[in-house]
Amino acid sequence: MKKIITIIALLGTILFGAEIIIKGSDTMLNLTQRLGEAFSAVRPDVTVSVTGGGSGVGINAIINREVDIANASRGIKSKEISSARANGVNPVEIVIALDGLSVIVNSKNPVNKLTLQQIGAIYRGEITNWNQLGGPNKKIVLYGRQPNSGTFVFFRDEVVKGEYAPIMRQMNGNSQIVEGVKADEGGIGYVGLGYIRNIEGIKPVAIARKAGESYVSPTDEADVKSGKYPLTRPLYHYLNGKPKGVVRDFILFELSPEGQKIVEEEGFVPVSENYIQRNNQVLQ
Amino acid sequence: MHKRIFVIFAVALAATTIFALEPGETEFEHNGWYRYTNQSSGLKLTQPSVSRFALERGYIRLSHRWSPPFFTKMTVDIFSSDKYPEGATVRLKEAYADLALPLIKDLNLTAGLQKHYFGLIYSWDYTHPEKSLADDQSVCASADYGVTINGFLPSGLGELQLGVYNGEGYKYAGKYVNTSPELLGNLRLTPLAGITIGASVFTNARDESPYKNDKKGRTTVGTDIYYMNADTSNKNRLGFAPMAKLAYGPISVTLEYIGYNYTRWFSYYKINRDSAGQIIDSTLVEKTKKYQMAGLDVLPIVTIPGRKVEIFGRFSMWNRKEEHGDAMELNKDKSFIRYGGGFNYHFIRREKGKPGLEFQFAWIRTQPKNSDIKPTDVLLAQVRFEWSTIVAKPQL
Repeated sequence: MKKIITIIALLGTILFGAEIIIKGSDTMLNLTQRLGEAFSAVRPDVTVSVTGGGSGVGINAIINREVDIANASRGIKSKEISSARANGVNPVEIVIALDGLSVIVNSKNPVNKLTLQQIGAIYRGEITNWNQLGGPNKKIVLYGRQPNSGTFVFFRDEVVKGEYAPIMRQMNGNSQIVEGVKADEGGIGYVGLGYIRNIEGIKPVAIARKAGESYVSPTDEADVKSGKYPLTRPLYHYLNGKPKGVVRDFILFELSPEGQKIVEEEGFVPVSENYIQRNNQVLQ
Repeated sequence: MHKRIFVIFAVALAATTIFALEPGETEFEHNGWYRYTNQSSGLKLTQPSVSRFALERGYIRLSHRWSPPFFTKMTVDIFSSDKYPEGATVRLKEAYADLALPLIKDLNLTAGLQKHYFGLIYSWDYTHPEKSLADDQSVCASADYGVTINGFLPSGLGELQLGVYNGEGYKYAGKYVNTSPELLGNLRLTPLAGITIGASVFTNARDESPYKNDKKGRTTVGTDIYYMNADTSNKNRLGFAPMAKLAYGPISVTLEYIGYNYTRWFSYYKINRDSAGQIIDSTLVEKTKKYQMAGLDVLPIVTIPGRKVEIFGRFSMWNRKEEHGDAMELNKDKSFIRYGGGFNYHFIRREKGKPGLEFQFAWIRTQPKNSDIKPTDVLLAQVRFEWSTIVAKPQL
């Protein structure tokens, strides 16, 4: 009986193809789309459909069984795990890349480095002019994400450590933040590492954990991978149970040298050894 | 009151318009349920006040996050009701402040008028358009004033709530408000994905509010005359509700058992006469009567892939026993079996999967345990829409 079912499933896949549906983090959108395209090139029978909406939207979609994979640039919350499990969904976590969340300013801005405390004070609205940081006498204009974004949550919890200033402009995605800061000499924003690659008009600032410590740039891959860069964060896939079939094949492709090369090409950092071990436990 | 509601609505609407380009963290939400109910018995319509169109729910809700740990919410319900001369009324439904507790992850302190964490009331999402059994049978109010500590256990193991409410009182006023504390605990455990078990319990030593007593005043039994006092109350209230939910793929079944006991206290004056029949004095007589209730609710739901359609069934049972002398007899008129089913069609779901625009249809048959009473059938069709928008962060 099992053999018959397997044959029928195989025939169905050959005849009709399979689709992997992915939804969630905007930071991971371009990366996952490229990985999907590359996977479809080697597995033409599989289509990978990727949409954004934010990490929260993606995680809710996996809770409600609407997708195969949720993309998230933040960890799943206890409340979300609880809802998922009550709904018969067992969320498991795979880290597909590392991101050095980058703080960007306009390329004409002479400020090149900031401490985490300074960035926090800027986003809380306590520092309002670049001349308070050794820059020009120009009002600081804050660009950030919307609350359904994992990046919004990560940056608030790790850097702002309080409430965002009400004047922060909440943008739809990383690209909008880049465009905003590019056109605004007083602008400051935070985006995924993949969104600052080869873009003129903006620059990432080097960041120190606190005054007196060394400043680290997010463009230094080794520092992001080792966690020396203060805003290193994992980028997650969430799935319902251990991956099987084409979803497992896709994830193995993402974590393969070919997939991790795409991760680098997209401006992110390949997964480090500790995450490889964690991933292996899920994939075994 | 209507003026106040208008101001709230106008401010929220103005904020949506004026600050649309200045996003903030205040959410304005509207839930509207437009319902047609047809109740019949033996194919004959019952009361016209039941078979009618109604705005079953008209929530207007304002939520604001003041800072990462501090959140407030207020909800008013504008709904039509034949109980009121104008055909509609307004009820304050929620008004609370919520503070994430420091040091303990995922644990909040909530104070104010909030939902009751009893049985299925808290998690009832109206997939079945009627109320949860505990709410329907007035075991406790669906919302009440109180202070709760509520939150989630690590690793998605479940959730826990402990609370002190002020009793059943949010819909009453004046002397009918019960201020006697009600202690409540609720635990949900999900040991395996798809299996949830839990239980709620509340106790309210004495409901101090004088219940409305329809028999108050002079009563004559034979030649004896009694003066029934109006001030009755319920003592030793105890409610408990174990539950289980099984979910596998698109199918889920939720089961709840409800036990609810209390003692009704009441008093009357018995008029005493002498041998000549002349009234000489009166004696205050205090009496009690015990009530025991037990209910069962079973709710199977099948969600068709794509989540456009939900098909549901429901089987409920309610036994109400009342003390007569030494025996606890079943009150067959107030005990029933109820069953039925229906479907929901979701035209639009909101971003996080909540209903956006939905059509609900249900058939419910209620058969009292008294076989002399015919069953009633309810056909219920409802358009439900719910939407929300981020309006603005106030400039403080």
